[in-house]
Amino acid sequence: MSVSYDEVEKYVREEVASLTNRDATAVGPETVLVGTNRIVDSADLVMLLLSAEEYTREKLGAVFDWTSDSAMSEARSVLRSVGSLARHLTDLQPA
Amino acid sequence: MDTVIVTGASRGLGRYCAERLHETGYRVVGLGRSAVADAPFETREADVADPASLARALGDLRRDKNVFALVNAAGIASMNLVVTTPPETVRRIIETNLLGTIYCCQQVAPSLIMRGGGRIINFSTLGVPLAIKGEAIYVASKAGVEGFSRTFAREMAPYGVTVNTVAPGPIDTDLLDKVPKENVAAVVRQQIIPRQGEPADVWNVVSLLLSPASSMISGETLHVGGA
Repeated sequence: MSVSYDEVEKYVREEVASLTNRDATAVGPETVLVGTNRIVDSADLVMLLLSAEEYTREKLGAVFDWTSDSAMSEARSVLRSVGSLARHLTDLQPA
Repeated sequence: MDTVIVTGASRGLGRYCAERLHETGYRVVGLGRSAVADAPFETREADVADPASLARALGDLRRDKNVFALVNAAGIASMNLVVTTPPETVRRIIETNLLGTIYCCQQVAPSLIMRGGGRIINFSTLGVPLAIKGEAIYVASKAGVEGFSRTFAREMAPYGVTVNTVAPGPIDTDLLDKVPKENVAAVVRQQIIPRQGEPADVWNVVSLLLSPASSMISGETLHVGGA
């Protein structure tokens, strides 16, 4: 059974909150991860990606390859926000 | 036990360093394009120029916080004039020496980040500062390694990981088998210390870079023999 977007988003929100020492309620789908107004620094971002890699493998049964030519693009990256990352991870699940 | 991954561990400086690391008490994971014969350390087959091959060989170490260091010693050379070097040879040298170094760093860096510290040691050559005739393509690949390492060092500094390059002069390994002795002597004469180095001279620098004493050294190229 596939994991819902809401559940994946909750995981990403909690990870970001933990890495940035924020309350999870202060992190939402629009929270920015790369570019202007980001709340995670580059070190936190890598930690988030490592965690997401493991989560995707263990919980979603998929592979999250976070090497991407647009990884740091504010406009195109799947990493641009909590919501875009959660959506990307959700969509990686096998049909 | 801390783990050190060594590429090019089947022979030459990679094999020498892997054996010394093993003797020092590290768990050594040595990579070679083909099976590494009679090694006292753990070995795995991988082509450094192939990211998929590296992922297969090192996938189990990607989140292993015991991984302490990566020693990128894999390399190939070809003494030839640029105008007479086949394109396939050019491609092979760049892929193995430069891209191979980058791919290995990409593969191993996450475990060092997870650990919160570590060492990456890449290999270059005195041929870069000395601009040795007949080594232009080899030098191009290694100059790329030096530039990559210096810049990558900035990316890894926030995680407590140092990235440095060791650049030896001609060392008596099988990489020099096809190089005429008079050519080797001519290069050695250009070194600041005009003595042909031994593998132990290179190991001494690698050992220093692995030690806690080197924690403030990063983004540097250390020339063994001086240039």
